[in-house]
Amino acid sequence: MFDFGITCLWLIPLLPLAASVIIALFGRRWLPDQCHLPCIAAAIGACVFSVIAFSAVASEPQPIAFGKDLAWISAGDVKANFSLRADGLTAVMLVMVTFIGSLIAIYSAGYMHGDPGYPRFFAAVSLFLFFMVGLVLANNFVLLYACWEGVGLCSYLLIGFWFAKPSAATAARKAFLVTRLGDIGLLIGIMILWTHSPGHSLEYDAVFAHADKYPSGVLFWACVCLFIGAAGKSAQFPLHVWLPDAMEGPSPVSALIHAATMVTAGVYLIARCVPLFALEPGAQLLVAGIGGFTALLAAVIAVTQTDLKRVLAYSTLSQLGFMFLALGSGIHFGEHKLAALAVTAAIFHLFTHAFFKALLFLSAGSVMHAMGNVIDMRQFGGLRKALPITHWTFLCGAAALAGVPLLSGFWSKDEVLVSVYDAWKHSPHYGGTYCLLFFSALFTAGLTAFYTARAYFKTFWGEEKLPPEAGHHPHEAPPIMAWPLRILAVGAVGVGVVLGPTHLFAKMLETRWAPPHLAAHPPGPNVVLMVFSVILAGVGIGLAYWMYVIQPSAAEHLARRMATIYEFSSKKFYFDELYDWTIVKPITILAHVCRIVDTYLIDGLVDLVGMGPAIVGYLVRPVQNGLVQFYAILMALGLAGFLLSVLLR
Amino acid sequence: MVGLFADGEPERGVLPFLKENGLVLLPCVLGFAAIYLLLPQARRLKPAWGGGLAALALVLGAATLVRAGMSSVETMLFLAFAGIAIGAGVMMITQSNPVHAALSFALVVLSTCGLFLLQAAPFLMAATIIVYAGAIVVTFLFVIMLAQQEGVSNADQRSREPFLASLAGFVLLASLLCILQRSYLVPDENKDALDRITADLDKLTKAQTDADVIAVLGDPQKPVEFGKRTPALVKDLIALFSEASIRTESNKLAAAWNTMKRDDVKKTSAILLNAVQISRHSHGALRLDNVPGKENYKTPGHFAPGKLPAGNVAAIGKTLFTDYLIPVELAATLLLVATIGAIVIAGRRSEELR
Amino acid sequence: MSPATLESYLVVGAVLFALGMVGFLTRRNMIIMFLSAEMMLQGVAVNLVAFARFRGDLGGQVLVLFILTVAACEAALALAFILMLYKRRKSLDISVWQELREPDQDPVQDEEPLPDAPKPEDFQHLTPAGVQPPGKEETQEGSHA
Repeated sequence: MFDFGITCLWLIPLLPLAASVIIALFGRRWLPDQCHLPCIAAAIGACVFSVIAFSAVASEPQPIAFGKDLAWISAGDVKANFSLRADGLTAVMLVMVTFIGSLIAIYSAGYMHGDPGYPRFFAAVSLFLFFMVGLVLANNFVLLYACWEGVGLCSYLLIGFWFAKPSAATAARKAFLVTRLGDIGLLIGIMILWTHSPGHSLEYDAVFAHADKYPSGVLFWACVCLFIGAAGKSAQFPLHVWLPDAMEGPSPVSALIHAATMVTAGVYLIARCVPLFALEPGAQLLVAGIGGFTALLAAVIAVTQTDLKRVLAYSTLSQLGFMFLALGSGIHFGEHKLAALAVTAAIFHLFTHAFFKALLFLSAGSVMHAMGNVIDMRQFGGLRKALPITHWTFLCGAAALAGVPLLSGFWSKDEVLVSVYDAWKHSPHYGGTYCLLFFSALFTAGLTAFYTARAYFKTFWGEEKLPPEAGHHPHEAPPIMAWPLRILAVGAVGVGVVLGPTHLFAKMLETRWAPPHLAAHPPGPNVVLMVFSVILAGVGIGLAYWMYVIQPSAAEHLARRMATIYEFSSKKFYFDELYDWTIVKPITILAHVCRIVDTYLIDGLVDLVGMGPAIVGYLVRPVQNGLVQFYAILMALGLAGFLLSVLLR
Repeated sequence: MVGLFADGEPERGVLPFLKENGLVLLPCVLGFAAIYLLLPQARRLKPAWGGGLAALALVLGAATLVRAGMSSVETMLFLAFAGIAIGAGVMMITQSNPVHAALSFALVVLSTCGLFLLQAAPFLMAATIIVYAGAIVVTFLFVIMLAQQEGVSNADQRSREPFLASLAGFVLLASLLCILQRSYLVPDENKDALDRITADLDKLTKAQTDADVIAVLGDPQKPVEFGKRTPALVKDLIALFSEASIRTESNKLAAAWNTMKRDDVKKTSAILLNAVQISRHSHGALRLDNVPGKENYKTPGHFAPGKLPAGNVAAIGKTLFTDYLIPVELAATLLLVATIGAIVIAGRRSEELR
Repeated sequence: MSPATLESYLVVGAVLFALGMVGFLTRRNMIIMFLSAEMMLQGVAVNLVAFARFRGDLGGQVLVLFILTVAACEAALALAFILMLYKRRKSLDISVWQELREPDQDPVQDEEPLPDAPKPEDFQHLTPAGVQPPGKEETQEGSHA
């Protein structure tokens, strides 16, 4: 089993890569309508192998490693191998990524049917899966970085999938550039680690084993840089602006990349680097603060958005903020070893979130599919009867997200809250800040319930309203789309109960991943906290029910009463405008200045240089008069001059 | 005798150059003026001016070539043929009538053939007369008459850039002559040294008794005189050969001279005399392979330097068909191809002629 | 007693060569241009023959033979070309062929007028047989009378 596990490690990334190559090379000609087959086969195969690898990891106390000697880069002191590894963290991520990826690939076969870019879509999705599993499987920072950029590339390709649409092209560019900003942070962080790690090794084990010997300031800045990278990829506060725009991509892409997998890469990175962060309370506070602030900010914005997918996108931001909040709460002080617990909470939330958020996006995609690509909630309503399957699956996802008791979101969010609470109680210096973050998180949880319920009620309740684009009979999702929705709905409902209270998830991470000095036994469930969050969720849902079903005018009334806040929220707190004025506009002006300099100064100089030969040519052109003898005379004069110069030398 | 052949570095600059080569440059300048005046142009002086200048240049040039002791029949013949050739050449390029020009060219060829004859090339003389004067000139005349039945054309009375062209031609000529002067016209002091060496060596070859040898080399019994006289001669010779960049030979000579017997002195002197004779004409020749005593004249085309017999037609035939067999075949092929080409090109009828 | 030395012949060769070159560069009649080229070859031939004599090596004379061969080929082809060109333009002037100049250049033309063209030579014409010579009728009749 152990050996087979190693084989799995390289088979898992290889399958999607092979699928991608096959589709890209042969898809358009030989498989014009069957392009989904290699992709689905590869995803399911990778999923099967991931499960095998998971069981292998579960049965072995040591992480599975592969390719320690497979040299990739060797330039001076920079060395990197194609080394892969699977421990508890990796195995959980692998299973999640490949499982959700398989379902979404199947769903896409129906959703994208008939699109002219069908082969391109599946080639990109396969390539994304390759990079994503490579990212979680990597055993060193260089390979991680390469895959990190690879998923960014695939994200760019898929957001701009309908590149003929200007808004999609712009969104793709924006996403790419903003995440690049974060990537530079990550790169600098890796460089700092490289500078100080023993033997300039960038293997995880070497870097982490040496963590406590770094100079303190260096470690802090390395952590900050790594977090900048994570914040870019996971769309945290200063760099969060790209994710809502990324909804221009097809809905399965939103579900796969911008909800379930790629955006969680930042969370994964921080979780992977917790041995570093645990030594730097300052960096952890930064992570927690940014995470908490993003969660609150995104939730407030989500309350007023009218675009169903954007609500979900801001909800994703908010939930990612929760994960970072949890990661930042993993303080490690004296006998209070909370790091492993916090990571468990964050990864557990990541895991459940992947299920219900993918489900929500796919359901939203199904709604969009039925509504003729209209996604504005003001244009439709009461779809409960027209789209029964979609309604039920959306309900499952929304309930899980809102934190309805016993559903998966309830358990994972509870763990997050517990870890923040613990941080508040035990942090030696920053207790007050964590207290603030805790209450902010509670409020955010209530808001989450509210806006989730709002989106649900506005879409599926009230009187039936259809946009003209949908035609008169909205069609329910075909089976190939419906079945993934059903399976995901089961997951969204059940995964939390199976893994949360039973501590299966926590044990897996603690025994198969956490370094011994960070591990601690999970505390029992905090009942008071649970009750409190249930009440909050109930209040949120009830409020939404009252405002959007019972008394539909109340919402507008409230909006008028709180016009300022409403305005700020619906305009996303003017972040886009702010960035536009402070960054984009100055750069544009600079570009214009550069263009003027280029056009008039540099081009002028170049033209001047170019005119030199033209003038010389004009002057000597009379020499070319077509008379043979004249040419001969010139030749003879040249020879005579040469001889004279030799003689007189 | 340090100055023998070793001129040292020639002085640089225009003035020293003019001083050194003045005798050569003057006829060139005159010739340039003459040709410029004589060339057919729209506005031209009377041909007498140009002709006078040309004659002056010719005479001056001949004067620089003629030396003391060059009054033999051969020299006279040479001067005559050379003068006719050059004069006819000038005529050829200055006549505006192409028929006259072609006839002048025939004269050039004929006088050149005279020069060939003087230089022991009777076969070439015959061949050149037959090919050029007999065939080519006649053909040219034929074409001229065919083409220019209406007489001298407009274009024949004009020249293309006469000044620039004459300038180029005569700068080239002056350069060539200066180089010739530098290489072949031996300065006077060197000539004196050569004369002395030649006389000494001549005496040595003809020496009948030891007393004759002693007269030249000094008495070995009287070391002072021997040491005074011998090294001078030997030093000169060594300098001669080292100038010829055969230092190993000169070293060997220096070593051999000291251990030489009387009879050997006579034999060696004969060989050396020959070498010195050659070097009178050109010390450049010594740079080549005819080092004294070297027997490499085995192939049919080679004779001793300066000893080409006049009756050498048989030797030419032997050389052509042994050493130069493949080039001869190639030349034959070339002739064939050229003939075919000429027929094809000239035989093409243009539309208007039909 | 001493013969004309090597350098004298070299000088003659150089002069012939230079004259030929000047002729080739200035004269506009294609045939004279070619004769000039042949004269340059003659200059080279004189040089080679002189070297052969001086060095006692017949290789020089053999080279002159090859020059002769090449000159003959050249003459044959040149005449063929000249004839062809003459057929095209009815002129032996090389300056009528200047189409290969730069496209925006004006063709070079002779600006300066020639002095009075020499009068065509007045050859003595024989009276055609059996035809009455014009203008002499009256005198003849007068004499008869």
